Amino acid sequence: MSSSHAYPHEPTGVETRKLGFWVFLSTEILFFGTLITTFMIFKGSDFPGMKLTDVYDIPFTSISSFILLMSSLTMVLAHNALEANDQEKTRVWLLATAMLGAVFLAGQIYEFTEFYHKGFELSTNIFSSSFYVLTGFHGLHVFVGVVLLLALWGIGQRQKGLTLEGGMNLEFVALYWHFVDIVWIVLFTVVYLI
Amino acid sequence: MSENHLEHPTPKKYVQIAIVLGILTAIEIALYYTEDIVGVFTDPLLIFLAIGKFIIVVGWFMHLRYENKTVNRFFIGGMILALILFTIVMLERASANYS
Repeated sequence: MSSSHAYPHEPTGVETRKLGFWVFLSTEILFFGTLITTFMIFKGSDFPGMKLTDVYDIPFTSISSFILLMSSLTMVLAHNALEANDQEKTRVWLLATAMLGAVFLAGQIYEFTEFYHKGFELSTNIFSSSFYVLTGFHGLHVFVGVVLLLALWGIGQRQKGLTLEGGMNLEFVALYWHFVDIVWIVLFTVVYLI
Repeated sequence: MSENHLEHPTPKKYVQIAIVLGILTAIEIALYYTEDIVGVFTDPLLIFLAIGKFIIVVGWFMHLRYENKTVNRFFIGGMILALILFTIVMLERASANYS
């Protein structure tokens, strides 16, 4: 995230690993763009005897959305603490971010379970399939993010702790985490509210 | 180095940004429940709010506004390609429904 160092030896002026990570995020946009497009195509498809509004639990999903949004705050505070070389705060904020991500995931599992009990299953119709594929892939990304955050937290527990050089790793994880958040910002509106 | 040399926000500023994001989310939920009153403006307003939240997170939390132009181009390029894909598919679907 931080671009406090110049890379005159790089033709692009950006560190290659960092640029590569942004390119990766760009491909992820296309990936989710494709899934969202597919979802929108089938959104009108009804499923027997049920309305979409009967299935969704907007208050619950709103709280989940708020939790994921706040995890972006704790993530950026972790990055900020590392820049100030405050190891303790960095670890605390990393753990807080991982916990918020885990709570979001638990909420998604609960939501999926409730949907199944209401008869809205993966194979109910093409719309339900597109719903589960889209939100499921997002959940998978959150899961990967939580694992990465806990790995970073574990590294931070070592005597040497997280360093500014190693901070590049935290920077990539932070970028990934914020990306997961912006995808959910779009999904919450497109899938649940509109 | 960032090309526009903007100072990164302080932790206090990040908290303020998060509060704004929370307020925007609350407005989204309020819009959802007042759809009967707001009417046809609901969906455009929801999209507008989502775009606003998206820009805030990308610009401030991901620090894209402080980044090199090359990084910006790659990220925006991905967005544009995804929007082109979305538009083409939706137009194709609309024309198929029409015919």
